[in-house]
Amino acid sequence: MTTTTKAMPAKGETILRLSQICKNFGAVSALTDIDLEVKAGEVVALVGDNGAGKSTLIKVLAGVHQPSSGTIDFMGRPASLDSPGKALELGIATVFQDLALCENLDVVANLFLGHEMSPWALDEVAMEVRAWTLLRELAARIPSVRQPIASLSGGQRQTVAIARSLLLDPKIIMLDEPTAALGVAQTAEVLNLIERVRDRGLGVIIISHNMEDVRAVADRIVVLRLGRNNGVFTPDASNQELVAAITGATENSVSRRMERKSVHAQEQTGSLT
Amino acid sequence: MSKPANLTPAPAEAPLDRSDVRMRHDDSIGAMLRASLDKVRSGDLGMLPVVVGLIVISVVFSLLNPVFLLPNNLVNLLFDCATVGIISLGIVCVLLLGEIDLSVGSMSGLASAMVGVLWVNLGLALPLAIFAGLAAGACVGALYGVLYNRLGMPSFVATLAGLLALLGLQLYILGPTGSINLPFASVLVRFGQIYVMPAWLSHLLALVPGAVMVLRGLRTRAGRQAAGLSAPPLSALILKAGLLTLGLEFAVFYLNQGRGVPWMFGLLIALVVVLDYALTRTQWGRSMFAVGGNREAARRAGINVRRIYMSAFMLCSTLAALGGMLSAARLASSSQQAGTGDVNLNAIAAAVIGGTSLFGGRGSAYSALLGIIVIQAISNGLTLLNLSSSLRYMITGAVLAIAVIVDSLARRSRVSHGRA
Ligand SMILES: Nc1ncnc2c1ncn2[C@@H]1O[C@H](COP(=O)(O)OP(=O)(O)O)[C@@H](O)[C@H]1O
Ligand SMILES: [Mg+2]
Repeated sequence: MTTTTKAMPAKGETILRLSQICKNFGAVSALTDIDLEVKAGEVVALVGDNGAGKSTLIKVLAGVHQPSSGTIDFMGRPASLDSPGKALELGIATVFQDLALCENLDVVANLFLGHEMSPWALDEVAMEVRAWTLLRELAARIPSVRQPIASLSGGQRQTVAIARSLLLDPKIIMLDEPTAALGVAQTAEVLNLIERVRDRGLGVIIISHNMEDVRAVADRIVVLRLGRNNGVFTPDASNQELVAAITGATENSVSRRMERKSVHAQEQTGSLT
Repeated sequence: MSKPANLTPAPAEAPLDRSDVRMRHDDSIGAMLRASLDKVRSGDLGMLPVVVGLIVISVVFSLLNPVFLLPNNLVNLLFDCATVGIISLGIVCVLLLGEIDLSVGSMSGLASAMVGVLWVNLGLALPLAIFAGLAAGACVGALYGVLYNRLGMPSFVATLAGLLALLGLQLYILGPTGSINLPFASVLVRFGQIYVMPAWLSHLLALVPGAVMVLRGLRTRAGRQAAGLSAPPLSALILKAGLLTLGLEFAVFYLNQGRGVPWMFGLLIALVVVLDYALTRTQWGRSMFAVGGNREAARRAGINVRRIYMSAFMLCSTLAALGGMLSAARLASSSQQAGTGDVNLNAIAAAVIGGTSLFGGRGSAYSALLGIIVIQAISNGLTLLNLSSSLRYMITGAVLAIAVIVDSLARRSRVSHGRA
């Protein structure tokens, strides 16, 4: 456990600034000239269709992938995130879409992985207590923290991954579709949690396909499309605008469907009268 | 009107880890036995196959030849266990990562040759010769680590190449004579053939595991209770420690009817205990299991994965070198045959038979100890029956096959029972 009293950035101060980030996988350009800024005490939602490059961007920031070009500034200084350990050390915590948990280890071991208390004589008791407190905060429904991850449900695993991101007192938390497998209560808890950490002055990046959740917590909505920036919106932007930015056209399958539905509804009400 | 099921949370004073109503808690001894049975049923076999195997082996061989269970035969058995057991300990480390080292036999042969050449032929001081052997092991392991980490060479291939190369080096440094006799009066050879613990010391040492178990159990209990966690029942702890002490004291008593407990076997036990501590109670050990379970997840948690691979390969080769030098002591010679034949496979088989998975992420230091006892018991029993080595190889091969089959079946069962 780090007991360092890391100075929290002042509210509104820019924690993270990306400029012109590109990432190629061989011939595929997953990200092209991405700009993004996250301030302390701000929730940025990252939205986009499947394959838009959201997870890739998160992984670049987590030190999992190295960007092909572009610069990353962290707390006003250029940072090279050349390994996941480096990103964690700086205070960038991530909940990955695939969770990245070790199924053969129990919940406590996963929570503290790489950051165990007293490395030469593991303090299992202290770690277990901390694990329970963290999971309580998230209203987690986990019967025992001594179960291997393999025996947990998808939602329980997601809660463990979220709890782990909070462990190291990060400055910024990135959540890649954190509520995809969660129940109603846990989703609400995660949204509450996002608001709580924002109020504590952390920066948050959240990826979600659920526009309702996104509007509920986000201060800004950043749209990615085919690996490029495609607009920044406020939460009061209309659904139509957002969908248009995400899919890249005002004429799209979502709006067509909506239209069809409303016409259908009008017809029905018409036939009733 | 139907009321919802009783959803009241557990009372506030319930321990932190006892607040979920779905969890069955096994607090009495009976319940703990039931829990262990559940574990075995779901494929978490632990040490069970070995214990069953050992009982079967002892019964069969002592029926066929009563000499098998005589104290002095068992003392010899333990002398034989120590050398390959130490090699097998290193194998446990690489298997935990889901890797393999096929060159431990050759490495042990090379180290044994080095001791002979450096100490006997060149007149170097014994400690220096031993240190050189260990250093050679560490270097070979480091080389495998570099090949794996930097060039992405599968350990299977790298160590297969090492198997040949190290054997060649062993033959090269032994020269045309091919065999060097180690002086019988030397400490090394006496350690490998003669030295046993005084009876009183062995009885005293047999008390230690039980005592440590109780002391640690009490400390954990106090710590957990102070932290507001549930604590395992005291009765179970005392019972386990009592049974363990009783078993060990009996074993020591029985061995002392013969020559006594070999110091070399004591060394194996000490190494097992140290490795077990390192694997279960340190950050390094946790990282070993994590890398073996999910390498990418371990990397993303900030673990230096390359360093973990490097440490495992180095530890494995170094222990192989140590085992090789001890087998030279056991045979009082460094020869071209050292480390060839079944040494390699016995070391790997011991780890697997003892319950370390070939798939990575599961296992324990104790598996090397238990596995090697099984293997040496079979080999010893078959030798007593005057069976040719052809039959011995076939039977040992069959036992290894059975162990691997048990491992994969148990793994399948664990997956379906959510135990990974
Ligand atoms: N490791 C990889 N190797 C090659 N291509 C990748 C890799 N990871 C992602 N991609 C590609 O990058 C694009 C963006 O993927 P991703 O970031 O996962 O999208 P999403 O926005 O759905 O999270 C996809 O076209 C995907 O095929
Ligand atoms: Mg994604």
